[in-house]
Amino acid sequence: MTTVRLTVNGVQREIDVAPGTLLVHAIREQVGLTGTHVGCLTGDCGACTVVVDGATTKSCSVLAHSADGATVETVESLADGEELHPVQRAFWDEFGFQCGFCLPGMLLTAKELIESTPDPDDADIHRAINGNLCRCTGYNTIVAAVRRAAKEAS
Amino acid sequence: MSAPARSGIGASPRKRDGAELLTGRARFLDDHRPEGLLHAAVVRSEIAHGRIRSVDTTAASAAPGVVLVLTGEQAARHAGPVPYFIDPAARGGNRTDIRCLQVDKVVYAGQPVAAVVAHTREQAQAAARLVRVDHEVLPHVLDAHDALAPDAPRLYDDWPGNVVMHNRYGTGDPDARLAEADVVVSGEVRIARSTTAPIEPRGYLASWQGDTLTMHASCQNPHQLRWMLATALGVDEGHIRVVTAKIGGSFGLKMQGYPEETLVALLSKLAGAPVKWVEDRRETLLAGAREQTHRFRVGALADGRITGLVNEIVADIGALTAQAGWAMPNMSATTQPSGYRIPDCRIELDIVVTNKPPNSAARGFGKDAAHLVMERAMDLVARELGLDPADVRRRNFVPAGEFPYRTSTGLNIDSGDFHGLLDKTLDTVDYPGVRRRQAELREHGRYLGVGLGFELTPESSDSPGTFVSGFDTTTVRMSVTGMVTVLTGVTSPGGGNDTGIAQIVADELGIPLAWVELVQGDTDRCPNGFGNFSGRSMVVGGGSATLAARDVRAKLVAVGRLLLGAGEVEVRAGMVCGDGRELPVPEVARALLTRAFAIGDIEPVLESTRAYKPGNINHVPDEFGRIQPYPTYSSSLHAAVVDVDAETGKVTLLDYVMAHDCGTMINPALVEGQARGAVAMGLGSALSEQLRFDADGRLLSDRFKSYLVPRAGDLPLLRMVHQVTPSPFTMHGNKGAGEAGVGGAQAAVANAVEDALAPFGVTVRSLPLTPPAVLALIDEVRP
Repeated sequence: MTTVRLTVNGVQREIDVAPGTLLVHAIREQVGLTGTHVGCLTGDCGACTVVVDGATTKSCSVLAHSADGATVETVESLADGEELHPVQRAFWDEFGFQCGFCLPGMLLTAKELIESTPDPDDADIHRAINGNLCRCTGYNTIVAAVRRAAKEAS
Repeated sequence: MSAPARSGIGASPRKRDGAELLTGRARFLDDHRPEGLLHAAVVRSEIAHGRIRSVDTTAASAAPGVVLVLTGEQAARHAGPVPYFIDPAARGGNRTDIRCLQVDKVVYAGQPVAAVVAHTREQAQAAARLVRVDHEVLPHVLDAHDALAPDAPRLYDDWPGNVVMHNRYGTGDPDARLAEADVVVSGEVRIARSTTAPIEPRGYLASWQGDTLTMHASCQNPHQLRWMLATALGVDEGHIRVVTAKIGGSFGLKMQGYPEETLVALLSKLAGAPVKWVEDRRETLLAGAREQTHRFRVGALADGRITGLVNEIVADIGALTAQAGWAMPNMSATTQPSGYRIPDCRIELDIVVTNKPPNSAARGFGKDAAHLVMERAMDLVARELGLDPADVRRRNFVPAGEFPYRTSTGLNIDSGDFHGLLDKTLDTVDYPGVRRRQAELREHGRYLGVGLGFELTPESSDSPGTFVSGFDTTTVRMSVTGMVTVLTGVTSPGGGNDTGIAQIVADELGIPLAWVELVQGDTDRCPNGFGNFSGRSMVVGGGSATLAARDVRAKLVAVGRLLLGAGEVEVRAGMVCGDGRELPVPEVARALLTRAFAIGDIEPVLESTRAYKPGNINHVPDEFGRIQPYPTYSSSLHAAVVDVDAETGKVTLLDYVMAHDCGTMINPALVEGQARGAVAMGLGSALSEQLRFDADGRLLSDRFKSYLVPRAGDLPLLRMVHQVTPSPFTMHGNKGAGEAGVGGAQAAVANAVEDALAPFGVTVRSLPLTPPAVLALIDEVRP
């Protein structure tokens, strides 16, 4: 066991992890934030997406160790108390999810896209969320949600 | 957050569990971590067929963190066979005992043979790799046609072959019709093994307090699971509580009937601690959804009217399972001839086992394959006769005035307007415009194609002698504060039927939607029910909720009459109104439940439990042996426009239109969500998804890098248009809306690719149409 220091959603945390522990498991089990999900552990589905030092990252493909000292934001950081983030509201308004399992990745990826590309077209949106699988929606409503979120942010 | 102004039937309020899902507060199965939790890993057979000589657990037992290792032989001392969701014996088929861990024989690579419980998941998985299984390897068979050979290896020693059942469906004299037809067209269509692959894998968490078991499960059918655990473990049902957590997608995969259900409950009992098991992606991808071959012949008159159909289906279900999945090919047979008026049909079906993992129930439930074959037949007839594919369909549809219509295979289609769907689809996709563009592009060596796919979706099944029940039960309870709790036997794996049911209850009671809470998936709280499958949740969950809500409303009205001294009383917008005066519903509720003796002679109960059985179900076989297990039939017409790159074989979806008719829509946005998801699943299985095995029966496509489900950039905007022909047999005229899309999408894509490549003269015979498969089609006909 070694100690890893993380700032998770603005809170400094020290956690003890075994050498092979994945960041996703550290976040879910040691930090106790279960909004980040495990869907494949091969970096393909994106349900484990978090923001590490400002960039979306598939936390199943990162060792907790190598994130020592990092700033991590998870889906739990988006809402301000009961006040939803505009991206969350847009997903709700556009029915951009059904079961919600892929949401952490979709929301954080959408937020990152809108911050870098304020007026994304469909190709931009597809490129951004192509790393995130959704099996419920067929993506149309997700694309609409990202478009709406961008519009409302501008 | 402002709620939409309307929230009753026909409005689209947002999903009611949205806030918890969006903020990460929702608790899925793997998010439950009780004190003292232990973790399980399953040791799976590495060979496709063999006898177990011995299982050596020595090294695994001594591994760090290991609490116990269980073999099949040990498990059999504590647990009986897993009961079937649909017992093949109930349908005259062959059965075998399904165990939570195999005792003496394995029949597929991936079959559970032992299990490990340890303090951490990693310790359990590491120890599982140390369990040594000594086998006598037996010859295996991976292809259903090979499995039909008399000398094929046999999976189950006491069966006469590898056929679970052979059935023949249909009426009339199709051979005579074919003999007298102007043309006879024959074809073949194969659909490869694909799977549902929800993003959340399956999982279970069992804990015992004394002799009482609590089972959290990512499962669609909590009550069936309770009964199954009680039966397999020999525990009184009253001592088992099943709670289905939030479910991260399901699509049939999480219907009950898996070995791991009994296994996890047993491991927890033996370990004396809570035990959790969540499968990994490789394990999820073991389960198949479909794999069939159809060889068919149709006779047609010169004007395109089809007079007879003969089809031979060989369905490969992998090994037999206690889950409902093995029975899907029955629906592939009986859903033919779909919505077409073909009275003379003969469908022969062989359901065959092979040494691959079982097929699990999957959205479409086999009905999808019926459309792939019927829609291919329509296009082949059009091609043979030089007619437009749309016209051939138009000439064969059952007309809107002829419902209810009994098909040759026995289904009694309740209602529909298939010509209307065709017109809407052709208009929306601009069929003449697409044909013009196609002709122009062909001049430039580019291959645009348009394909149609009609889909008839029997929904809300009631299958005699099984746990596929066509009714369900709901309690509506108003508290002293006027708030309403709805407890229902149907479950919601993500589609949003909880929102739809709440809408119906709010509408019936005349109260705001925000006053209604829903409880699903808890056998200690909800009335007995059957969960989610077969597009049933709004039909029977919504229907039973309506009846119960009407009882509660009648009580509010009766109390209101006494309190207001009025003759005519109604409830609307949360007020009980009469004679120009009104009382808030909460006040009326409080009056009844706290001042019952002062109010008058009225029973102080604001609660009702009701079951709802739709009409149009008949289990008494007719003179041809046909039964009618589906009350209601959704219908849809799909048009896919594709570009096929003849150099690379890549198929690009340019446009997609679905005209959809599920009767009355309770929540149109949720209906569209279901349809979009089903179409995406159909498109995946038509173009890229395929579970592949090596020659030894080991799964090769065991991750999302090799099992290719559609990504956002792969799918076009699905343009939906609605048509509403209400069902005369359901409470609100609604029909199922969970499955339509899979078969229509497969068919439309198959036809579109063939249409695009018409200049080459290719004939599509199998799905998926991956780039190599498309290139092979072109090579096949290239001189």
